[in-house]
Amino acid sequence: MITINSLTFQYPQSSQPVFKNLTFEIAQGSLTLVTGESGSGKSTLLRCFNGLVPHFSGGLISGDIDVFGLNPIEEGPEILSKEVGFVFQEPEAQFIYDSVEDEIAFTLENAGMPYAAMHSKVSEIIHQLKIEDIRHRKIRQISGGEKQLVAIASALVGGKKLLILDEPTSQLDPQTADELLSHIKKMKQEQGLTIIISAHRLERLLPYTDNILHLAKGADPIYGPPQQVLSQIDLVPPIIEIAKKLKISPLPIKIEEFPKISPSNSTTHGIKSNNLNDETNRSILIIKNLSVIFDKQTILKGINLNIRKGEILSIIGPNGAGKTTLLRSILGLVHKKGQIILNGDEIETLDFAQIIRQIAYLPQNPNDLLFADTVTEELQITLKNHGLEKSQEELVSFLSRFNLVDKKNAYPRDLSIGERQRVAIAAITIFEPEIILLDEPTRGLDYSTKSALYTFLKAWSDQGIAVILITHDVEFAAQIADRVTILEGGKITFTGHPRVAFTQFKPYQTQTARIFPGRNWITTQDVVNN
Amino acid sequence: MKNTAVWIFWFLTTLVLIFFMQNPIYLIIFLLGLISLGYHLSEKDEKSTWLKKNLQFLATIIFVSAFINGLFTHSGKTVLFSFPDSWMLIGGSVTLESLTYGAINGITICAIFLLFRVLNCALSVKQLTRLIPRALYPIGMIISISLTFFPSIQRRICEIKEAQMIRGNPMKKIRDWLPILIPLLVSSLENGIILSESMTSRGFYTRKTKNTPIFLIIGLIIGTFSIFSGWIFLIYDYPAYYYLPLFILGGIIIFFILRALSIQIETTKYHQEKLSKNDFLFLVFNLTFVFIFSSFMIFGNPTSLSYSPFPAISFPKIEFIPIFLTLLTYLPIPLITYDHH
Repeated sequence: MITINSLTFQYPQSSQPVFKNLTFEIAQGSLTLVTGESGSGKSTLLRCFNGLVPHFSGGLISGDIDVFGLNPIEEGPEILSKEVGFVFQEPEAQFIYDSVEDEIAFTLENAGMPYAAMHSKVSEIIHQLKIEDIRHRKIRQISGGEKQLVAIASALVGGKKLLILDEPTSQLDPQTADELLSHIKKMKQEQGLTIIISAHRLERLLPYTDNILHLAKGADPIYGPPQQVLSQIDLVPPIIEIAKKLKISPLPIKIEEFPKISPSNSTTHGIKSNNLNDETNRSILIIKNLSVIFDKQTILKGINLNIRKGEILSIIGPNGAGKTTLLRSILGLVHKKGQIILNGDEIETLDFAQIIRQIAYLPQNPNDLLFADTVTEELQITLKNHGLEKSQEELVSFLSRFNLVDKKNAYPRDLSIGERQRVAIAAITIFEPEIILLDEPTRGLDYSTKSALYTFLKAWSDQGIAVILITHDVEFAAQIADRVTILEGGKITFTGHPRVAFTQFKPYQTQTARIFPGRNWITTQDVVNN
Repeated sequence: MKNTAVWIFWFLTTLVLIFFMQNPIYLIIFLLGLISLGYHLSEKDEKSTWLKKNLQFLATIIFVSAFINGLFTHSGKTVLFSFPDSWMLIGGSVTLESLTYGAINGITICAIFLLFRVLNCALSVKQLTRLIPRALYPIGMIISISLTFFPSIQRRICEIKEAQMIRGNPMKKIRDWLPILIPLLVSSLENGIILSESMTSRGFYTRKTKNTPIFLIIGLIIGTFSIFSGWIFLIYDYPAYYYLPLFILGGIIIFFILRALSIQIETTKYHQEKLSKNDFLFLVFNLTFVFIFSSFMIFGNPTSLSYSPFPAISFPKIEFIPIFLTLLTYLPIPLITYDHH
């Protein structure tokens, strides 16, 4: 049993507590989901369970925590490491050694476990997580999903009672995320492991969840079974949103629990051609027979794509399918075979400055772009790079589109994740490009920040700007995309209407598509419209 | 053939041999041996890349070394061409001898560089840090992490540079690199914090007692002071009976303090090294080489080890024993091949 009683924590040099008077109990062998908007204190709370907060972070803490008889506030993370395994948001940043086996054994080495016992424990966890085939591999040689499994194995080795995972599926493709969650479910069932997960995207995690803790800035936390908590919060996964709209009670948290109902207007939604008029229907980017080979390995093979003005094209596919390489090829950053025609000119004939004057690019990590002292300066730097100028009024007006006017003099790196991403997007689009490339823009974003992103993308699309968006977030892609490309193993396996992509390709089906099979509905809006 | 101590012994022996040899023929044989050994040890898919990258680097170093020496040293009889004397520093004759001397120095640098590369291929970072005493475990970890951090920092520099270039940064002036430095510094610090959180939450450096006893700290100060004092006596040419006792006393104190500190740390090692048949054979051969080399240095006539192209270039003298000693770099190849089979 884990007990939290009147827990309040405040970071050093902060004027307000991250959370106040938290009180709840977590039963042994249960899975608790910690959710809430960015900055609501999810990661901080997770760190309280193993004593990293306050022992590592500093700060003021009051109240009691009891983790299977140990008090993390008094004992500290060294003692808690014997009972609690922690997996951080970015597994790659937490690895200490360069090989899988050494990484897993690290905790046991620190515990001073004898040689023979250590080998048996490492083999045991490797067997449990079915990662025997990568046991002797280097960390750099394994995939994103495998890295998550190695991080879990490293956290759990030696027999822990509590496993804490911070956003474990945010960087994984839908298939890998499902595989990982089924491993977690198995460990919970077979070993009675208690699991606490923090996440923004709840749709995949809900079926495995026993309790949800919802944290909100300036509001009381809500804790209880999923149905009870989700009925009290606004931004919820599609299955709950649909159930709420159809007034289904109790709220279903699994697809199988959703009642088999026929909406009054049950006509099948047809797949019409996209609503792009003749002017905007003109191709702005044509990719012909593109292939990329790197270190004798084929990354992309025979890619053909046409991107039209004002179109939002979403590229989905498993980790390592070549999605980012495709974007880098469009920018002329990769040695390639085939043709890429940008606004009628083959990119080989354009110099780099001409290419980037037409295309903006948001990398996976928006922090890579931010270095100036103020938000306004970030915009001015991009303008200066392109030899352009805008008045202060124009800059403020541009920032207002991103809801950043009150942050115009703020230091960009002090802002929240969502705000930082908005600054990065503003900084790359201030020169009004014709094409915008976004690499995983929804990673780590909460529902409200994603909804703001949706608004910008639609506004750009209306202005005739083409957007190419790489994402693992099928729900978001289903809402926003005019067209979807599925890239698997370096090849395009499908390009077409989102209704086909998100209904007929099982790994990428949205929750709505799974609730209403055969109707071509992919978003909650489709349900409402019918 | 995986034993760390055996490889380190081979590394030190080879390093000493390279330092003693200035004969270009011997050095070239060493270099070829190290190239073949590195090629054998590099990963299967990366062999050709390893060879290409290292050959490019070696060629550059030898060329640059010869070029710089040729440009600034004007001794030697075989004049190739001359710069006007009025040209500062480089004015004068460029001779074949000075170019050769520079090239020999380049080969020596390359041999040492390749020796480190080979050791890097033969042993993992973890194997190397295992040699550090348990009391200095955190230092070993810092070295290990720094080494593994280096490739990830290189990768991050490329990612950030690319993102800034796409934003229109021309990356031509030094000032243009500022947009790389700040995100790199911040992301490195953030990653450093995550890594230390990860280590802490996995029980890193758990000690039996939180505070180091005061007598150990005082002992460490006395030990270090003793060695330092001995070193001062040595520098100022005092007789051995002044500095030797101080070295011995300091060494003993530090040894016992490290031992006492080690007991407080409960770490164990996942890999226990065994001396395989090949490791043993390698060690025996290596000891034989050391014996031959020592005997040759004491009882032989090691004139052929050194070589100078000045005043006029000549073909270096060659002897059987030094040629035999250069085979030390080839020695591990058959044993590694046997291991693979």
